[in-house]
Amino acid sequence: MKILVAVKPTFDIGQLKFEKDGTPMLDACPVSLGEADRCALEEAMRIKERLGATVAAATVGSSEAHYKAIRDSYAMGADEGYLVKADDPWKLDALSVASAIARVAAATGPYDLVLTGSGAGDTHASVIGPMIAGILGIPLIAGVDRLEVRGPGVVAGTCKLEDGSYTYEAKTPAVVTVTSEANAPRIPNLRAILRSKGMPIREMSAGELGIDLRRLEPLSVRKYEIKRKRIIYKAEDQKGAAEASAKLLAALRSEGVLS
Amino acid sequence: MRVLAYADNRSWAAQLASAADALGGDAAVFVPGRELADDAAKLYSEVFFSGLGPFEPVSYSAAFSEAARSFKPDLALLPCTNKGRSIAGLYSSAAGIRSATDVISLSARAGDSSITVRRLVYGGRAEAEFLMSAPAAVCVVQGSYPERGPRGGPGQVHEVPAPDPASSVDFKPKRREGVQPEEAEVVVVAGRGIRSKEDLELVKELARALGGAWSVTRPLAADQGWADSWVGISGLVVSPKLYIGVGVSGQPHHMMGARGSKIIVAINKDPGAPIFEECDYGIVGDLYAVVPELLKLLGGKDRGL
Ligand SMILES: Cc1cc2nc3c(=O)[nH]c(=O)nc-3n(C[C@H](O)[C@H](O)[C@H](O)COP(=O)(O)OP(=O)(O)OC[C@H]3O[C@@H](n4cnc5c(N)ncnc54)[C@H](O)[C@@H]3O)c2cc1C
Ligand SMILES: Nc1ncnc2c1ncn2[C@@H]1O[C@H](COP(=O)(O)O)[C@@H](O)[C@H]1O
Repeated sequence: MKILVAVKPTFDIGQLKFEKDGTPMLDACPVSLGEADRCALEEAMRIKERLGATVAAATVGSSEAHYKAIRDSYAMGADEGYLVKADDPWKLDALSVASAIARVAAATGPYDLVLTGSGAGDTHASVIGPMIAGILGIPLIAGVDRLEVRGPGVVAGTCKLEDGSYTYEAKTPAVVTVTSEANAPRIPNLRAILRSKGMPIREMSAGELGIDLRRLEPLSVRKYEIKRKRIIYKAEDQKGAAEASAKLLAALRSEGVLS
Repeated sequence: MRVLAYADNRSWAAQLASAADALGGDAAVFVPGRELADDAAKLYSEVFFSGLGPFEPVSYSAAFSEAARSFKPDLALLPCTNKGRSIAGLYSSAAGIRSATDVISLSARAGDSSITVRRLVYGGRAEAEFLMSAPAAVCVVQGSYPERGPRGGPGQVHEVPAPDPASSVDFKPKRREGVQPEEAEVVVVAGRGIRSKEDLELVKELARALGGAWSVTRPLAADQGWADSWVGISGLVVSPKLYIGVGVSGQPHHMMGARGSKIIVAINKDPGAPIFEECDYGIVGDLYAVVPELLKLLGGKDRGL
């Protein structure tokens, strides 16, 4: 089998800080290989260990963090790494990213499976995987908590959606997007990390792939202002809990949200 | 501006009808089953339906694309749900058009082909404004637009043939006991401050005493398996009058599902928990002390904890 995993460095948005005027300070925000992307890599490694597979990782963007994302994928056990060069990668339009991954798949495949995270921790658009499936014209299983290779050329995935649980079975090649609950990704050991540093990263340009990378320039970005009352009661012991509870219920009644 | 919406229930059909109104012009809707078509015809001038089976993204998106070929929209409007995002991705790549998710407002000047889109970014920590030119596809966040009432006469209804699914589907509907969080006026959410599945009863009891629904944060559903859905960006987006987070830290991915609530209440023992920044009322204290007191005051039975 041959598996391609699309990976991206992802901002830890819990730690994102803002300038006084509300501009996000991305340069000061920690960034690392996405949680769901690690889970997608882990699924690929499990298939590799059980059934034998070649696993490739691909990213679109040429920041230092993008190179690191490929190296981290190597450390987890990927065999090949591809990086599509793009400056200012955070502003790339989703369709351009998906086209780039689809072209990498066509140029370095054929692949039986293309895996992505189900939603990146920062953008969380959850559209890249579906777009890749749309461009390649192959089945899509999106938001998989459990992935299973059921036989030669058959994959199945179970997804929790709004109204219940769906198990899909598709013929390969297929795109599968993996949630961050799918597994507990392995933590690479020191040897794997050292080995990953020596592995070559194959760089590709948009021109070489025959695509045009477009950017979306926002007119403005500002901090989401939370407008809430923030009235806080302290309950240090049982008596405090009783008093705070009474105050809370009285407040909720006067707000008209409690009869 | 011509708008084609995608809706898989009445609430979404009505919310997206309001969003389409905000842009002016003609609006049609695609619904995935005949059952919804008549209701939808009260809201839109044209309705496309297809007799599709349980959700499968490729066939759903193909049927939606077929409706789009017939209606020729400038803008496709979809729900910002897991299903809506998948359809938006497939549809926009098939049509070669741009898309945006997590959209909270839309505007367009009459006669202009560009749309100003406000969307949440960085997991809801920030919002950004973009200019998109038609044709485009956008996913609208639950609760951003109110449900619209019926318009004049019923719209025309067209059937779109149902394409074959790209994967076989085995669907197990969610157990639907009691009031559902999406529809409830009060939603009580349990977070990891709840120590065991048995203790979840405390939260369910509080929800019952308030005549509302209960839900959980993602770790309790996805890691512990104590519930089959959760509130947040990757789960349900709720907009009740009252949201109470019990032992919930208030991480952005969770709060994005609760922001539409009129009043947000937090019960958490850590005064530094981020939910206290985003609540109207909070109690800093041990939930195992506070919730039983609330139940007592609400006339629920004294659990003597
Ligand atoms: C891409 C992505 C998407 C995500 N989507 C979602 C989503 O849709 N929904 C979601 O919920 N999460 C989502 N998450 C996870 C989210 O980031 C948080 O990890 C999660 O919401 C935390 O859940 P929690 O508040 O229950 O747990 P914790 O963060 O562990 O918080 C538990 C809280 O309980 C308090 N506590 C402990 N004991 C007590 C006690 N006895 N009394 C009172 N308080 C107590 C603690 O002080 C703490 O604040 C997503 C994450 C990612 C990366
Ligand atoms: N620049 C990128 N390079 C490679 N893969 C990406 C990139 N952006 C997104 N992805 C993949 O698409 C998934 C979903 O991203 P998103 O659609 O932004 O939520 C991520 O988890 C990655 O697997």
